[in-house]
Amino acid sequence: MGERPAGLTFSRHGYPLAALPPESDARPLDGLLARAREGDLSAFEALVAATREQVYGLALRMMGTDADAAEVLQETYLSAYQGLSAYRGEAAFSSWVYRIAANHCLMRLRHRKVRAAAEDALAEPEYTPRGSLAGMPAEAWGRSAEDDALDAELRMAIQRATDALPEAHREVFLLKDVEGLSYEDIAGMLGDSVPAIKSRLHRARLSLREAIDRFYNEKGLQPGGQDGI
Amino acid sequence: MKTCKDSIDVLLQYLDGELPAEDAAALESHLGCCTPCVEFLRTYRATTHLCKRALAQKMPESVTASLDAFLKERLGK
Repeated sequence: MGERPAGLTFSRHGYPLAALPPESDARPLDGLLARAREGDLSAFEALVAATREQVYGLALRMMGTDADAAEVLQETYLSAYQGLSAYRGEAAFSSWVYRIAANHCLMRLRHRKVRAAAEDALAEPEYTPRGSLAGMPAEAWGRSAEDDALDAELRMAIQRATDALPEAHREVFLLKDVEGLSYEDIAGMLGDSVPAIKSRLHRARLSLREAIDRFYNEKGLQPGGQDGI
Repeated sequence: MKTCKDSIDVLLQYLDGELPAEDAAALESHLGCCTPCVEFLRTYRATTHLCKRALAQKMPESVTASLDAFLKERLGK
């Protein structure tokens, strides 16, 4: 297990005890949780069934391979089960288990250490010497791209661009913009300051925006158009 | 007068609602007369939504089965 960041309380199994919910406060799983904490294994299995898709998605995006994601999934629910008695219930079960998974991913990535922190891999907008944008964004993809169906090629381009981000930027982008964790949670998990997290997120977004813009430029596609997404 | 670079540098804080009022007003003033930056802001915002959708993942049934088997073995019963 890697060094534990300040600002978070961790159990002996490595999961955060003071998790914050990234989603609804409705707590629909609390009944199952109460039964699971009393030793009802079928209730725990129901909790797993209710949350495993989301946890798997996080693990696959973070780890990049099915095999690693499947292992993180197993480790996550084993940790959750072992930690049920210590779970204080401040957060919804789904949020709590989601953060356990994120921590397992981050620990594995720290051990992997294959990605160099190549910040020059980050694309940025081009400016004139006076600080003006050197060109208009390609087409008008910002207007309708959110509502249109996703083209398979664009999906692949985004996947490649995300994979190409320096690890420190990729983690922050995935945890914040895709998984919906708070800045404070991410800063605690990564052992960084909130301003540092925001700086990396901004640079990751700029780089991904450039990749999408390049995609539209190269394809000459209009979102929602005859040949577009 | 802000430049495009000045404006783009603070987009994250602006969208998070954390830019001081004076800076937000300066940014909005720049956006009012800079079409490229308006389009840039739109595409910056759209990037997050597109990426979230593009990176969505489905869990294979085989993973569900192996997780069930793992938990049954490790948790007993």
